[in-house]
Amino acid sequence: MNTATDPSTRKTSGAGQEPPRSSNTPYWLSNTLRLLGMVVVIVWCLFPFVWMFMTSLRSGAIALTNPNIFVGPFSLDNFIQIFELDFQFALRNSLVVAGLATLICIPVASLAAYAIARLPLKGRAVILTLALVATMFPPVALVPPLYQMYQQIQTWTGISLLNSYSGMVIPYVALTLPLSIFILVTFFSGIPRELEEQGKIDGATPWQIFLRIILPLAAPGVGTSAIIVFVYATNEFLLAFSFAPRDLNVQTVPVFIGTFQRVGYENPIGQVMAASVLVSVPLIIFALVLQRRITAGLTAGAVKG
Amino acid sequence: MRSTPVHKTGALLAGLVVAGGGLAACGSPDSQNGNGEAGEAAFTWAVTGADQAIHEAVADLWNEQNPDQMVNVEFLSPEADQQRQAMFQDLQSGTGAFDVLGLDVVWTGEFAEAGYIMNLEDHRAEVEGVSLDGAVESSSWENELFAMPYSSNAGYLYYRTDLVDEPPATWDEVLESGVEVGDEAGIGGYAGLGNQYEGFVVTFLQLFWSAGGEVYNDDQTESTFLEGDAAERALDFLIDGREQGLFASGFDSMVEDDARSLFQAGDSVYMHNWPYALPLLEGEDGEESDVAGDFDVAALPGFDENPGVGALGGLNNAVSELSDNQDVAEEFVVWAATDADAQQTLLDMSLPSTMLSTYDGADDPNVQLLGEILAEAQARPAVAGYNSLSLAIQENLHSAFLGQTDPEQALQAVDEAATDALSAE
Amino acid sequence: MAIAQSSKARTPQRGPRSKGSGIGERALAKIFLTPSFTFMAVIALFPVIYAVWMSMYQITGFRQEFTGFGNYSQLLSDGGFYNAIRNTFVFTTVSVAFEFVIGLMFALIMNQAFRGQGITRAIILVPWVIPTAVAAQVWRYMFSDNPGFVNGLLGTSINWLNDPTWSMVGIITADVWKTAPFVALLLLAGLQTIPREYYEAAEVDGAGAWRRFWSITLPLLRPAIIVALLFRTVDALRMFDFAYVFAGYSNSLATLSVYTQRYLYAEPELGYANALSTATFIIVMIVGIFFIRLMGQQTVGSEKGKKK
Repeated sequence: MNTATDPSTRKTSGAGQEPPRSSNTPYWLSNTLRLLGMVVVIVWCLFPFVWMFMTSLRSGAIALTNPNIFVGPFSLDNFIQIFELDFQFALRNSLVVAGLATLICIPVASLAAYAIARLPLKGRAVILTLALVATMFPPVALVPPLYQMYQQIQTWTGISLLNSYSGMVIPYVALTLPLSIFILVTFFSGIPRELEEQGKIDGATPWQIFLRIILPLAAPGVGTSAIIVFVYATNEFLLAFSFAPRDLNVQTVPVFIGTFQRVGYENPIGQVMAASVLVSVPLIIFALVLQRRITAGLTAGAVKG
Repeated sequence: MRSTPVHKTGALLAGLVVAGGGLAACGSPDSQNGNGEAGEAAFTWAVTGADQAIHEAVADLWNEQNPDQMVNVEFLSPEADQQRQAMFQDLQSGTGAFDVLGLDVVWTGEFAEAGYIMNLEDHRAEVEGVSLDGAVESSSWENELFAMPYSSNAGYLYYRTDLVDEPPATWDEVLESGVEVGDEAGIGGYAGLGNQYEGFVVTFLQLFWSAGGEVYNDDQTESTFLEGDAAERALDFLIDGREQGLFASGFDSMVEDDARSLFQAGDSVYMHNWPYALPLLEGEDGEESDVAGDFDVAALPGFDENPGVGALGGLNNAVSELSDNQDVAEEFVVWAATDADAQQTLLDMSLPSTMLSTYDGADDPNVQLLGEILAEAQARPAVAGYNSLSLAIQENLHSAFLGQTDPEQALQAVDEAATDALSAE
Repeated sequence: MAIAQSSKARTPQRGPRSKGSGIGERALAKIFLTPSFTFMAVIALFPVIYAVWMSMYQITGFRQEFTGFGNYSQLLSDGGFYNAIRNTFVFTTVSVAFEFVIGLMFALIMNQAFRGQGITRAIILVPWVIPTAVAAQVWRYMFSDNPGFVNGLLGTSINWLNDPTWSMVGIITADVWKTAPFVALLLLAGLQTIPREYYEAAEVDGAGAWRRFWSITLPLLRPAIIVALLFRTVDALRMFDFAYVFAGYSNSLATLSVYTQRYLYAEPELGYANALSTATFIIVMIVGIFFIRLMGQQTVGSEKGKKK
């Protein structure tokens, strides 16, 4: 893309950029407008979450009948109850499954993306297409054949993928690979070739070039893919429910929430919301920390490189 | 480049995994889901996760009496579709991990026709006259038993004693007084199972039956859905009710607990709902509800002189065709249907039982009433294609109820679906 | 671009390049691709073959009977199938369009430096990290007439859950809310790669904010935009949760995935369900390949031109 840019001075429009200001509007007006826009964005993003959070503090019928979420009585009962049901194990399982999926997916995808973007390869478009098509099968219809396959694997090898972390991690990795590869290909392609040429002249092997030059420069892409894989794996219900539905040693949060036990037809809405709030918090922190590192790391890495 | 962002990402993730592991390092989950005894159990009973404690109590009772052939309970999701998925998965893959299947009363025909469950016709004598007629009927397919009754259910008409003196005897009275009293009090007239789902089928069939209708002839060979005016009358009641403002707001998307909460908040004169709502309506978490002491229950009304007819809910237990332990499984399902203690356990824990004698000695007038309602309640037709019929009723009649489609055509479509549901296709 | 590069650089540079590692670049490329394709083959290949195979049978319980293309001819005369296609396409077109516009807006906001930037970024991501099934339930409650949160807020009396048009608006709103942050994240990553000098130069030339957006941001963001649109589209075509939670199997909202699930579990006809999923697969594939061609022309094409 921007092959002309000198890599060493390559800065980004990231965190440091001045907000573009239109010259013909007064400063206070554009500021007020911007503030107003921000309020709209925040309200739009947050109000369902606020609804969830407030509902998790309310109990019983009031949550289902009174639309005013600020009417109590409020209590932490729902949160206490879900921990009595061993929610902490579900949360642990979700974090472990998502973490493993991300740790496997990103390196695997990086290698493939580098090969597609940079290494001599015949039929690049075909490979990209295959990577995409591979996972286009509707998830609802993926379950019966995979279940069958897991059964077969167990009979043949004795390895049980049902009710195990690997039974979820493997499909999660496979299903998030295409997106990760696509993201990383666009990033790797955007990195100036001169950097690699320079590395080659310095006697670096392709492997070293990939690890030392390409990967750090593609950090925003790597970080973005990591967040996406992680969030996907913590959100996924269908496969987790089908392959690890009950055993609390492996059951993930969405399944925990989706199969909440109940009395009669009673709707455990308060507990469902409490669990959802609790699972969202680590995810938001994770995404936030990762993002900050990406933007901060990029400039630092570029200067050093 | 010792600490490139990429490495940091990896480190962060690794940290999260470790943290996840540490989060529960202080222990591993106990056998709260009932899978703790899997090792010593002789067979597995797959049953809904709704009312988990009650099924567990029944299983405990069996285990006490049969320490050498214990049952392991696998609690499935409380949602019907997810229960079906788990069962189909077990059956179609040939796994056969579930020996006893706790089936919703409307699934017997379908599972029997598919060849998933064993014929239990030999046990007819043990349940006939002992269990509710409707429950036995719902356990049968093509006049043979394929399951054993286990739990039951039938709706009450809940009404506000502070607003109406006597429970209405007919649906026309419900319509009239519901609109009038609701208007006066500024609340809804009638709440119940109005969302487009199986509950709406219950709502419709109850009206249909009490107008004298039957979906099939006696030996289930042809649809009699459009015979007489029952179908029309039932649908007209719903449409009139909507047009005259009988239904509480949100009725058309209401499931059991939405209706319960609304009634509990004092926002409706009448409600049709299952008995589970009864204790909740008195108050939750030690606090009195808005309607505590101001409501009562009655049997459903009917049309004209016809008595009301409740639709029977609940579970039947069937033995999986793939079970390795069919003898014990069979013994268990018969026991669960006919053991007085097991059946009493259900009723004591407020899940309606199927054994007639459990209602005889009941002191609680509401339980006595429930016994009477159940004795007259009707099973939804146990045909192989029941689910297709049900979906057709939901699709066609719900939109006709909302005035989106022509009622006559909608009823025609249901009649066709009823005919289709009879054949194996 | 890799294609162009390889044909030019293959022979002369091969020797020195492979000196350090002992492996040539072409071999390395294959090695690099192997893990990815192993994963995808394990998870994807068997299910597709299985589905196509099963779709040739009529299956009831333990009985199955070969029908060849019987299920497919049933499919072609099934009004429910066309209805599901229509719902799916309406949903996909409208929701992806809105997600793109709103996501781009979010990305531009997230890319700016201002006080409270960190917290704003976190807030924008909140909808996306909430488990989909829960988000669907939350929105259903908010739209439901009882308690009537949305109607109360807007002062309307719309039947959000039962009116065919409004319920579609409802699930689109919910989906846009949920997934716009995902688009934002992808575009934000793309924005990071646009060199700041471009903007500085343009500002010196007197280009206004709007013009800088059109002539720098948008064109340079193109690869990221295409990836975002591609993945949102193929995902939206297989959307399940919102439609199912809002309306069950009702024809008014049933998408292809919901319709498939109906024949998997509610009215089990496994052969037919597999024919449906194969058909869905083909539809999604056609749309996906269309996008890849678009993408190929954008990135590969332009690079190729430059090299020559």
